[in-house]
Amino acid sequence: MEAESTASEALLHLTGVTAGYGAGLILKGVDLAVTKGEIVCLIGPNGAGKSTVLKTVSGLLRNAGGTVMFNGEDIGALPSRERLHRGIVHVPQDRSLFPTMTVWENVIMGAFILTNQALIRQRAEEVAEIFPIVARRRTAAAGSLSGGEQKQVELARSLMLDPALILLDEPSIGLDPKSRTSVFASIATLARDGRTVLLVEQNARSGLAVAHMAAVLEAGRVALTGTGQSLLEDPEVARLYLGASAQGPASALATSV
Amino acid sequence: MHSLIQAIILGILTGGVYALMASGQTLIFGIMKVVNLAQGALVVLGAYLTYTLFTQLGIDPFLSILITTPLLFLVGVGVQYVLLRPLHGDDVAQLSLLVTFAIALGVEGVLSFAYGSTLTNVQPAYANFSWTILGYQVSLVRFVAFLLSLVMLGLLYLILQRTKFGRSVRATVQNPMSAQLLGVNANRVSALGFGLGAATAAAAGSVFGMLNSFNPGSHYDLISRLLTIVVLGGLGSIGGSVVAALVMGVASSVVSALASPIWSDFTFFIVLLLVLLIRPRGLFGARTRGAL
Repeated sequence: MEAESTASEALLHLTGVTAGYGAGLILKGVDLAVTKGEIVCLIGPNGAGKSTVLKTVSGLLRNAGGTVMFNGEDIGALPSRERLHRGIVHVPQDRSLFPTMTVWENVIMGAFILTNQALIRQRAEEVAEIFPIVARRRTAAAGSLSGGEQKQVELARSLMLDPALILLDEPSIGLDPKSRTSVFASIATLARDGRTVLLVEQNARSGLAVAHMAAVLEAGRVALTGTGQSLLEDPEVARLYLGASAQGPASALATSV
Repeated sequence: MHSLIQAIILGILTGGVYALMASGQTLIFGIMKVVNLAQGALVVLGAYLTYTLFTQLGIDPFLSILITTPLLFLVGVGVQYVLLRPLHGDDVAQLSLLVTFAIALGVEGVLSFAYGSTLTNVQPAYANFSWTILGYQVSLVRFVAFLLSLVMLGLLYLILQRTKFGRSVRATVQNPMSAQLLGVNANRVSALGFGLGAATAAAAGSVFGMLNSFNPGSHYDLISRLLTIVVLGGLGSIGGSVVAALVMGVASSVVSALASPIWSDFTFFIVLLLVLLIRPRGLFGARTRGAL
């Protein structure tokens, strides 16, 4: 996570990234390095710019300043479609399935930029093996699935391009505890096979638990970085982001949800 | 009873043509959230093109669809590219309303200049041919127009359901941001979608010119009917607009037969008012985002 030391090995490397809408900047100089094969979790208060970081990486938003390097290439000026071609897939926070399309059609849409039909079909079959819901509810309208099931299909769809980097924005939001558990289990699955995941998570405890590395974003800047485990054990992080009381780290961790 | 059934038959046949016009308009709304006030003018433009092809070159009005439809498809793509795409910001919906109204006025102006404002219609040799089935009259032109509308709607359905372009349209209608994140080019979908909408207007226009007398100002009458139909069907729902067009076709035809033709147009506005008061999202308005 130390930007300087790992910059050369980093799959994704943000340096001094500023971005925002209209006149106001939300990101005020974000430095972040994401190493290949790791799950990196971004936590922080509402409005800190966590989702905005993901948008500047996927190209939904252009960075105003700084550089966004991916695989050694400055992708800051590329449209989102070009970034897809380079293997960057963004799963947004809101429900992103197409409700009247079937589960299968939704998964196929994940390979929209590909033209090789045989490859698309083969990928979809592979994805259906990793995410059984895809096979089980293949012909169901995506909108008829529960929130947790829809998130599983969204994750399945994100694999259709065999991506190098998956950006996940609040995957557990609005889910019941059981679905949340299976979503985090699926995220761990995604990270196998050398895939890299940049995860934004309001549910900081679960996010940090699944992450190799983590960063705390505050007011548009990275305030703290460390391994997921070290941030979980950090009393300050516990007090601010893990829903703990301010009485002390030990009791805070014990009593928080 | 006889006149009621006769009115219902007439209403269904007429409604089919309105369904074709309205499907294009609701498609454009679904993709771009643009209420296209030029749809009626594009229908009238299609009617005049057919009129010219028929009177100048002797091309059969039904066959002329093979020329007018691709032509207006290209016009639609061009209009979206030149006039609608540059619009940005939060007030795109209002601005595009003005722009499409301006397009309607522009088309009306050009047609008035070229053809004058006298009412005209397209009269092929078979224009007044009709069958009598079980005592009910079915006009050949209306019947073929109805069948043709069904075929065009079927084609539209196949394009939307079976092609990659269709999938990208449905995706854009249902979740624009998600579609963009998967690599769907929203500009391209909008341009082709507007083109398709204009193409349905062209096809409907060719038969409209045989069924009605028209002049360049006929689009005002048409657009108010079309708006009623797409609102009744639920903005953005093609299936809804087809059902709504048939309902309105029958309703206005029955009112015309049982009360007076004077009240026929008024039926549309009564229905529009009732829908807006009782069920603003229309008969088949989307519960989720998008209805395609």
